[in-house]
Amino acid sequence: MAKLSRTDSHSPGVGVATATQAAVYLPEADSALSPEETAMEQVCQPEEMKRLQGTHLNQSPGKSYDPLALKEVLVCASQLEEEEQNEEEREEEVDPDLAPDLEEEEEQEEEEEENDLGDPAVLSAVRNIQKGLLSSPGIKAPGVLGMSPASLHFLWQTLDYLAPLPFRPAFPSTSTAAPHFGPRLPSPDPSVLCSPSTSWPLRLSHLTQLHPQHQRILKQQQQHGRPPSPPAKKPWSQQPDPYANLMTRKEKDWVVKVQMVQLQSENPRLDDYYYQEYYQKLEKKQADEELLGRRSRFESFKLVTPYIQKAEAYESVVRIEGSLGQVAVSTCFSPRRAIDAVPHGTQEQEAGAASSQRLQVLYRIEKLFLQLLEIEEGQKDGPAQPCEQQSSQLEKLFQALKTQEQNNLEEAADGFLQVLSVRKGKALVARLLPFLPRDRTVSLLLAITRHLPLLVKRDVADQALQTLFEPLGKCISHLTFHELLQGLQGLMLQPPGSSERPVTVVLQHQFGISLLYALLSHGEQLISLDSSLEEPNSDHTAWTDMVVLTAWEIAQMPTASLAEPLAFPSNLLPLFCHHVDKQLVQQLEARME
Amino acid sequence: MNYMPGTASLIEDIDKKHLVLLRDGRTLIGFLRSIDQFANLVLHQTVERIHVGKKYGDIPRGIFVVRGENVVLLGEIDLEKESDTPLQQVSIEEILEEQRAEQQTKLEAEKLKVQALQDRGLSIPRADTLDEY
Repeated sequence: MAKLSRTDSHSPGVGVATATQAAVYLPEADSALSPEETAMEQVCQPEEMKRLQGTHLNQSPGKSYDPLALKEVLVCASQLEEEEQNEEEREEEVDPDLAPDLEEEEEQEEEEEENDLGDPAVLSAVRNIQKGLLSSPGIKAPGVLGMSPASLHFLWQTLDYLAPLPFRPAFPSTSTAAPHFGPRLPSPDPSVLCSPSTSWPLRLSHLTQLHPQHQRILKQQQQHGRPPSPPAKKPWSQQPDPYANLMTRKEKDWVVKVQMVQLQSENPRLDDYYYQEYYQKLEKKQADEELLGRRSRFESFKLVTPYIQKAEAYESVVRIEGSLGQVAVSTCFSPRRAIDAVPHGTQEQEAGAASSQRLQVLYRIEKLFLQLLEIEEGQKDGPAQPCEQQSSQLEKLFQALKTQEQNNLEEAADGFLQVLSVRKGKALVARLLPFLPRDRTVSLLLAITRHLPLLVKRDVADQALQTLFEPLGKCISHLTFHELLQGLQGLMLQPPGSSERPVTVVLQHQFGISLLYALLSHGEQLISLDSSLEEPNSDHTAWTDMVVLTAWEIAQMPTASLAEPLAFPSNLLPLFCHHVDKQLVQQLEARME
Repeated sequence: MNYMPGTASLIEDIDKKHLVLLRDGRTLIGFLRSIDQFANLVLHQTVERIHVGKKYGDIPRGIFVVRGENVVLLGEIDLEKESDTPLQQVSIEEILEEQRAEQQTKLEAEKLKVQALQDRGLSIPRADTLDEY
């Protein structure tokens, strides 16, 4: 049997080895051909090995080369750099049946060599072979067969389970550089097309997840100019393998289809949200890159699942009236639902129980969030389409938020405040504000401003009110003067039984102070723009009083406890200058800088 | 046909040589010929390789059909690097003998451990459901 073992030299009956444990695969062990063997005795030098590489199948009349010959070449080329001294014997044999195939392979190898040969070692090996051929007397090593390591490796793998046949040296042939053949045609073989990373340089799709070590090795390979050796990815891969394609293409497709069916969904944006988002971002990034001029961008493949009509939805749980529990029904499409997680029927209202209250609030927030997500989804699909449906959805959402079904105004506000006391509730309102029409946003803003001290107190743990600042800021610019006054006046009123004004607490919190400044700035803007209101007006006086009070409060507060505002409007100091005396202004300047 | 690009798919591994590690500790090497949706494998020209220390031995087994759930992992064998091993191949009889000896020593060590624990009043129940190796 043909076997190449590096450790032994001159092992009898040894020819070319397979990389595998050929003892198993090639059970015709030790088909030692003694006549060849003796002939090869002369050939036990390193150079011989290289010469034997150059066997050219095409040219040997009556004898052509066995795939094992090519295997030998594979070994040689791959080991050239590593092992100069290799005293293995070689045996080559004729296999006329396989000759035509091998010729073809050879051609393709050669053309690959033309395309890919970058390895200087191989090039030098080729030259050596040529020299060796000319100088060697008894060796029939005809042509030059320069092959890149990749093709050699590939051949190795595909040929090694062929029945071993002893080698015989071939007749020499003209040794020239391999003629250039046309470009290789891509194979229709699915195993070749299945991954976009078959071409070199290695194109990793965004879905390829390699171990970091693996990735490093591949990068190094690329840097060294060696194409990564992709075994069995060449078009001729299947030909010498008699057992290949036992699994037909149809069967492969079937397996893939089964796996895809499990992934398909009617609403991928919902079911597969993260992948869709990621893919969108990726596409956007690539579009930007292309705009910048990087033409070399390549298409990222998106996983598209086939749409197959699912069996219609069925009730997996059957409730028989009057019985306890449920009878579970399951089919092959959906397994049995074990428990009923969605509550049926009414739940007892435990007003006053703190924990259940909190749960209720959380539950409400979740429901509102689902509605908000729907609205956002609709917005994403059709931007700038304020359709009927959307406005009705928004209205519903707003009503639910403000809980205006309750007659008691206090309770209504309370519901809203409860939502705002939860971090997620704040996020909900922040995301909802851009969608609402003006009057709705104003009412929300006023509610927030009215209850600002309370909100601020409850926010100390979360510090999440800041998220609201930006959308509220946009809304503030739509306020009318009257509305503004309404909101701010609440802050100035000293509640009975407390020595300080609500505004004091507000000033100590970042969101509070930012909102206050924004409101004041807007008020100042309105006043300065509205020159028609020259005559003193009740609103004006109220405004002036309020500004003075605020200035006084700010001046009163020690600088350390004054919070840092998120945005400092430029017209605030001038505003204070107008209404307040110099001393106070100086104090304000010191604090507000 | 739109294959799943880049993700792990055994389709790409068909007709290549693989090393398969089973849950019972066996190592099989063979050409992957066919798969199905459960990752049941059909291995061709399979060899069961037993490793003991620096030695290994191959037992030719022919064709294997492996139920998917019993596979721990499998990986493609790079044929050019396959012979690049510091391990030494020995005959089947020798490796089986080595394996038996290794099992023996392991059992004895285990026995000693259990005895020592029992002496101290502890007992560790044998986890029968764990994979064997």
